[in-house]
Amino acid sequence: MKALKPGLTRAVLGAAIGGGIGIGSLVLASSAGLVIEDGQFLGLAYLLALIGFLFGIGAFRFWVTWAFGREVDAADEHAAHGTAGDWRRYFRFTTDHKVIGVQYLVTAFLLFLTAGTFAMLMRLELAQPGLLLGKEAYNEIMSTHGAMMITVALISIIGGLGNFLVPIMIGARDMAFPKTNALSYWLLPLPILLVAINPLLGGFDSGWTAYPPLSQQANLGQQAYLMAFVTVGVSSILSAINFLVTVFRMRAPGMSLMRMPIFVWALTVTATLMLVATSVVAGAFTMLLFDRVLGTSFFRASRGGDVILFQHLFWFYSHPAVYIMGLPGLGAILEVVPVFARKPLFAYPLAVLSFISIGVLSFMVWAHHMFVSGMAEFFHIPIMLTTELISVPTGIVFLAALGTIWMGKLHFKTPMLWVFGFIWAFLIGGITGVYLADVPTDITLSDTYFVVAHFHYTIVGGTIFGLFAGTYYWFPKITGRMYNERLGQLHFWWFTLAFNATFLPMFWLGIEGMRRRVADYPGQFGGLNLWISFAAFNIFLSVAVFVFNMVRSWRRGPKAAANPWRAHTLEWQVASPPPIANFEEIPTVSEGPYEYGGGAGLPAEGRAAP
Amino acid sequence: MSSPQRHAWIAAAAWTVLSILGIVLVAGIQVIPVIASREAEIENSAFVLLTVLSVPVLMFVVVGLAYSALRFRANGDKEDGPPIHGSRGFQAVWLSVSFALVIGLFGYGAVGLIDIRGAQASEFEVQVRAEQWAWHFKYPSGVESKELHIPVGERVHLVINSDDVIHSFWVPAFGVKQDAVPGRPTQIYVTATVAGTYPGMCAELCGLGHTDMRLTVVVSDRAGLEDWLNHNQVPGPGGSQPPPSGSEPPK
Repeated sequence: MKALKPGLTRAVLGAAIGGGIGIGSLVLASSAGLVIEDGQFLGLAYLLALIGFLFGIGAFRFWVTWAFGREVDAADEHAAHGTAGDWRRYFRFTTDHKVIGVQYLVTAFLLFLTAGTFAMLMRLELAQPGLLLGKEAYNEIMSTHGAMMITVALISIIGGLGNFLVPIMIGARDMAFPKTNALSYWLLPLPILLVAINPLLGGFDSGWTAYPPLSQQANLGQQAYLMAFVTVGVSSILSAINFLVTVFRMRAPGMSLMRMPIFVWALTVTATLMLVATSVVAGAFTMLLFDRVLGTSFFRASRGGDVILFQHLFWFYSHPAVYIMGLPGLGAILEVVPVFARKPLFAYPLAVLSFISIGVLSFMVWAHHMFVSGMAEFFHIPIMLTTELISVPTGIVFLAALGTIWMGKLHFKTPMLWVFGFIWAFLIGGITGVYLADVPTDITLSDTYFVVAHFHYTIVGGTIFGLFAGTYYWFPKITGRMYNERLGQLHFWWFTLAFNATFLPMFWLGIEGMRRRVADYPGQFGGLNLWISFAAFNIFLSVAVFVFNMVRSWRRGPKAAANPWRAHTLEWQVASPPPIANFEEIPTVSEGPYEYGGGAGLPAEGRAAP
Repeated sequence: MSSPQRHAWIAAAAWTVLSILGIVLVAGIQVIPVIASREAEIENSAFVLLTVLSVPVLMFVVVGLAYSALRFRANGDKEDGPPIHGSRGFQAVWLSVSFALVIGLFGYGAVGLIDIRGAQASEFEVQVRAEQWAWHFKYPSGVESKELHIPVGERVHLVINSDDVIHSFWVPAFGVKQDAVPGRPTQIYVTATVAGTYPGMCAELCGLGHTDMRLTVVVSDRAGLEDWLNHNQVPGPGGSQPPPSGSEPPK
């Protein structure tokens, strides 16, 4: 039967059966006299549904085959890799890293649109003083927007562009563990769905930070979020190991560490952070789940638990997470700059060192989120120092970008425009970050719109501008077609102007005393909030231009040459889109990735005119 | 002809002019809208210093970008730029300046921090208790109230508790903000400098009523405060009774 073959149908069936077994067994247990709470129903049903889904999609079939002592069917393995041009492989448990990259990228953009819609609802509520959707609805919409956007920032570049490009950029045929790679993608649909439908479970209103005790009071939707977060964490850890092994074991001959494209370096540091930090937050969220479901008291003050402990554990991950989101964006930007400035990346070794330093320092700054939390008094001082220190390596990213642009031959194609937009946005994010690192100013700014503006400037400025730069830059490679340049530029200008018009005034709102995470505000802020809502709506419209451009160009855009940008990195030396095994023959690398204006020049096939 | 040196000089001149203009514009501004305490004064001067230092940093990048966008366009030229991989001198200067700025800022911040948060003698202590969604204040004499009354010109010690979830005590005009944490008292000092009435609010998301969880602070001279305390010595019209602790919040 067709439905019993590995695929989406069987996955949905598997999830239903798993969920059914979970609920059914607890119904039995409760009819036998046990007291079962709603949270326990949800917990077991979700866990079994997730396992059923993965079985259904075929995530375990190779391992099962092997465990039962049967030979793995070569034809089956080939089918898992897929055949070029077959669209159905995007909906299957496909092990080709290029398919997985596209799956991640498309998933991330769909999530970006969904979370953006939630943002529009927030701006609708905030457009005028008074209440429109209501306080409860606002808190839930705000929390869901945050949770989803964080996921977008975490997975889009490393999961999407990283999966597609890293093996090709280092001269490998695939990731080190293709099946684990597919598994880490297919772990995502169910938790994402769970977050999206959490309003049906009563929503969660404690923000993405889920601070107890508030998160212990909240609805079943809160528990859905915690479980989803832990699942995404497992996926991140699997994916991190895969990236690290790939980068350190699968580089082509001659691809020394210091010849690796800067994007690969950024993702290597990112993967290290993911591996080390994610387990901490998965632990903290699991403890929080146990408090809710199993009756433990890690964070229950009324029973001797400590609520500040949660904040320490949470931020010990979630500050590195800011760099898990940011570093891939910085990497994408620095990858684009040399190509469109036609110059070698300025201070490449220092840039690599700065990424590593950011990675190390990012573990020592978490408590700057807690300057008004009531943590140990003396601890403010070392954390203020480390937090301000991290601006030194971050500044080197500006040094590298500006140094490359200076005296270059600048081609202002869409990716390069996003680079300029990035430098401006990330600069504002960086400078305002100093005000939040400095304890005296942070005391007054903490929990205000200043913080909201700051982290949108860093995360949108760092990650999303990097994501757009990278998506336009690699679009011809990924799809084999060119995007529409005019629409790309329209998207850039519209988005960038609307973005700045939205978030710059928020700094002022914060200084004037508007709190974050409120559904209503004093009338004096009414005019500015109306302006912000109007500008935010323009961000949304500009993204529609992007979506239109991507969809249309993918279907009908002009065919792209192998190397339309005359770039020197390996991914541009193969056809667009790359053949299924990436390289007919594994290349031997003889020079650095950015030898513009000298050196041996381009390999023959790259000489195609732009 | 434009040599590399010429580009650098023009950009440096533009940077100097714009930085000076910017600094003149921001030096001495009042950032915090209402300043009514010693702590807010310290924070405001930190604000101004950071802003003054930000101007040259901002201008450096902006001038670099704008000048490049104007003067280094390829304009159809297919040639590559010069193969410059870095500049040891420039990188060294960049790093030294960043480190110096960071150490300077840290020193200044640490002094301000100790000034604001350091434990010092205080003559007046108020117990602050937060619950979903209201504030309660208790004075040494046992008087309780829903508004905070403190004397002007004295260092007041606030000891903050929460009955249920995390709240945050924030009075913008005082520049003080401190979370109220269940099971763990927190504290903050404030020295009000101007008598008057100031709004405050909860700054940490605490559930449905967070938006409306506000408070009022009345700052008066010592005599006025004593009057008020005596007037409210017996729980009466001015000082309301808090509900029993541990009561379930309305859902």
